[in-house]
Amino acid sequence: MNFVILYGTESGNAETVADDLVDELSADNDVQSIDMTDVELDTLTADAFYLVVCSTHGDGGLPASAVPFAEVLDAEQPDLTGIRYAMFGLGDSSYETYSRGSERIDERLTALGATRVGDYGRHDASDGSLPNDTALEWVRNLVAGLDADADADADLDDVAAVAR
Amino acid sequence: MVNETATPAEAAAPAEAAAPGAAQPAEAPLSAASTPPAAAPAAPAAPRVAIVGAGPAGCYTAQFLRKRWPDASIVIYDRHDAPYGLIRYGVAPDHLGTKAIAKQFDRLFARDRVQFVGATDIGTTITLEQLQAEFDVVVLATGLWADRVIDSFQTDASAPVPSGVYGSGRLTRLINGHPAESTEGLHIGRRTVIVGNGNVAADLVRLMLTSAEVLASHGVTADVIAALTAGPLEHIDVVGRSPAGVAKFDVAMIKELAKLPDVRFTSDSAEPPASAVTPDAPTLDQAKAAAIRDLVDGSPATASRTVAFHFGFTPDRVSGGERVERVTFRATDPTALPATLELAADSVCTAVGFTETAGALLRRDAIASPTADLEHGRLADGLYCVGWFRRGPVGTIPANRADARTVADAIIADVEAALHTSPQLIKETR
Repeated sequence: MNFVILYGTESGNAETVADDLVDELSADNDVQSIDMTDVELDTLTADAFYLVVCSTHGDGGLPASAVPFAEVLDAEQPDLTGIRYAMFGLGDSSYETYSRGSERIDERLTALGATRVGDYGRHDASDGSLPNDTALEWVRNLVAGLDADADADADLDDVAAVAR
Repeated sequence: MVNETATPAEAAAPAEAAAPGAAQPAEAPLSAASTPPAAAPAAPAAPRVAIVGAGPAGCYTAQFLRKRWPDASIVIYDRHDAPYGLIRYGVAPDHLGTKAIAKQFDRLFARDRVQFVGATDIGTTITLEQLQAEFDVVVLATGLWADRVIDSFQTDASAPVPSGVYGSGRLTRLINGHPAESTEGLHIGRRTVIVGNGNVAADLVRLMLTSAEVLASHGVTADVIAALTAGPLEHIDVVGRSPAGVAKFDVAMIKELAKLPDVRFTSDSAEPPASAVTPDAPTLDQAKAAAIRDLVDGSPATASRTVAFHFGFTPDRVSGGERVERVTFRATDPTALPATLELAADSVCTAVGFTETAGALLRRDAIASPTADLEHGRLADGLYCVGWFRRGPVGTIPANRADARTVADAIIADVEAALHTSPQLIKETR
């Protein structure tokens, strides 16, 4: 599969998650990791599956590197129909705005027609743990689900072929 | 000489990987006994980098340089036995999410072949010149950690400054178990005045009103807990120079105070007129003022502990006998009323920022060459600075990450330009 990781980070934790996802997935897939700050809209395609990793800053705000991406989505209102993505949010549940930063990106992508797939991954830093292991577990479940869907699709194709 | 420098493989020795900073690595790349080489080493394809200071600015710089140069030898020195500087000794122990940034940096030492050398002062154990002779790139990231002193508290020549005035840096280091701090002479009492309106002031309010059990659960030692809770504290005045809307604290820090049990909050801040508030898109000023208002409105009418915010007052003087008894302030705006504020206090905690330590071994302005480019952290040829040491004591940990990226980019540009103009050097070292 062709995975593109889009990360939005403030203190660097989300970037280390993106790095680990690249390491995890690169054996079997094409993977690239892009800071949301550097994303250009015409590179968003239905051919790739997007893994969006985003932290939360301050009082439920976007992390600094996600702000330009949110602004360009708001300004350009691109049609993201056909684009599939999965979401992983970083936050701290000792604040009432836990994981809100990632939701701000998720809401925009959904509103523009993209489809979120799989479980919404979240990591809670209130216990002082790193998000990386949680994210790896999340992505393994996600990929297993994607593979199962692909197999199911293939089975349906087989059924269709037999029926013909 | 050059061969003494640990190779990346050596730097990733298991003992160090398991416990970065727990002990000085056996194979320190430069010891006190080292002498400078006869000639400066040629610039290699994978440069040797020394970073002085293992706080956030130094560690982020190491991260960015490692990403660019997988084979560079990178060593981080620190005067403490253990790394992470402000994250270890400044960030409040109950802010586990922020403390966890240190775990990101653990990966530098455990996985990314960066070497940590603790308990080493650059300037005494090893001179800066020795370091520059040994490494192609030296980055100074020693921060600024001395408490800024309120001058007007010191200038009453008729009497010595009463005891009982404590800097927030000392207090947060103490609470975080800094090896050089002790509770000797620390007496917070029943009433304290916190001077300052930044996030450190908010940290102090929260920590001072946190129960002994919770503090202990965050690893605060028994002697420090005893000193903080001995009063016990009944009242805290928090006094800032600015109006609430432009106070330095972050909104999330004020919202967090609402979780403290049995505390009544008050504020002397004038309510902004309703017409000035845009409900759909409040400005940051409005959000800050509203956070204070919500904190006050949401707190119980009666409680055994009280916190009073005072906005718009500048510290004037402390008075008392041997110990502080009163603190006086004057209105920052000379036309404002009341013109003065006088508060009774058993102790005063100043949280008004940080400055260079008296007698600091490395002082930026003394080191910078005439051609220094401080905007990008260039102090001299091969010598750089980053973080608070570069730009002063302003900005949070993420701001120092952005700073580290700027300086790392400058270092990378300089080193790679030098290699480009002298390509034979690449051959020699490959």
